[in-house]
Amino acid sequence: MDDFNAGEETAFVVDEVSSIIKESVEGAIGGNAYQHSRVNQWTTNVVEQCLNQLTKLGKPFKYIVTCIIMQKNGAGLQTASSCFWDNTTDGSCTVRWENKSMYCIVSVFGLAI
Amino acid sequence: MSDVAKEKAARLLKKRTSVSSLSSHEVRAIGKTKDSISTVSYIDEPGHHDDNPRPTVQMENTYQLGPVKRFPVLTVNNILKDVLTSYLQEEKYEAELCRQMTKTISEVIKARVKDLMIPRYKIIVQINIGQLSNQNMRIGSRCLWDPGNDTFSSYAFKNSSLFAVASVYAVYFE
Repeated sequence: MDDFNAGEETAFVVDEVSSIIKESVEGAIGGNAYQHSRVNQWTTNVVEQCLNQLTKLGKPFKYIVTCIIMQKNGAGLQTASSCFWDNTTDGSCTVRWENKSMYCIVSVFGLAI
Repeated sequence: MSDVAKEKAARLLKKRTSVSSLSSHEVRAIGKTKDSISTVSYIDEPGHHDDNPRPTVQMENTYQLGPVKRFPVLTVNNILKDVLTSYLQEEKYEAELCRQMTKTISEVIKARVKDLMIPRYKIIVQINIGQLSNQNMRIGSRCLWDPGNDTFSSYAFKNSSLFAVASVYAVYFE
């Protein structure tokens, strides 16, 4: 039977990715309150930082990173995703982050090459 | 059926379902800076291999370097438009309904795109439905992939009480 010892090094590790996401969000938005003019910059920064860190992992993956920043004013938001891929190698991780004035939802999809 | 066989069948069944939603696994809710909370969710722990992997079939090399058929972005865009309009045209925003809607629509879109039978492409469908109430929001995404073969299609729909953004990412499986 095949041995999967090398699994850890080439697998999509959710914990690793989720901490990358959290760090990126904290780094980009931190304690700021919602400011219309800066949202554009924030989304860019979050996505950029996530991708940067993900590439540094040096794993054989293609990545898709999406970021949603929404002002909190009582409005609802639902999001779902559905994937057609290889369940054994590919993975996704979504982090919902919020502070007093906004929500930030970041999803990372990793597809093995 | 013996217990072992049953267990194996159950595991195989579990393996085949790949539906994901934000509520599939919710873990931890600790934030670093004060006033902020974060929640992590993901599908099955990937990279976790079962004791009985499906038998690997050794195929002959295809020596094929690129896709035979490129991903038809326009067709997919029409699908998105069609599905979103037909499902949401008459709807009012309601949390529970939209929760169901996101799941249904993402499944429908995935099925429709799969029906196009484009070999060697992995598909990711993401859909966001939100309430329109004068809030501001921005959705952005960026990908690390091969721009030559991989592509995406996205469509935004809006009616009087809600908006929906659907994105399909197609990633060539080398």
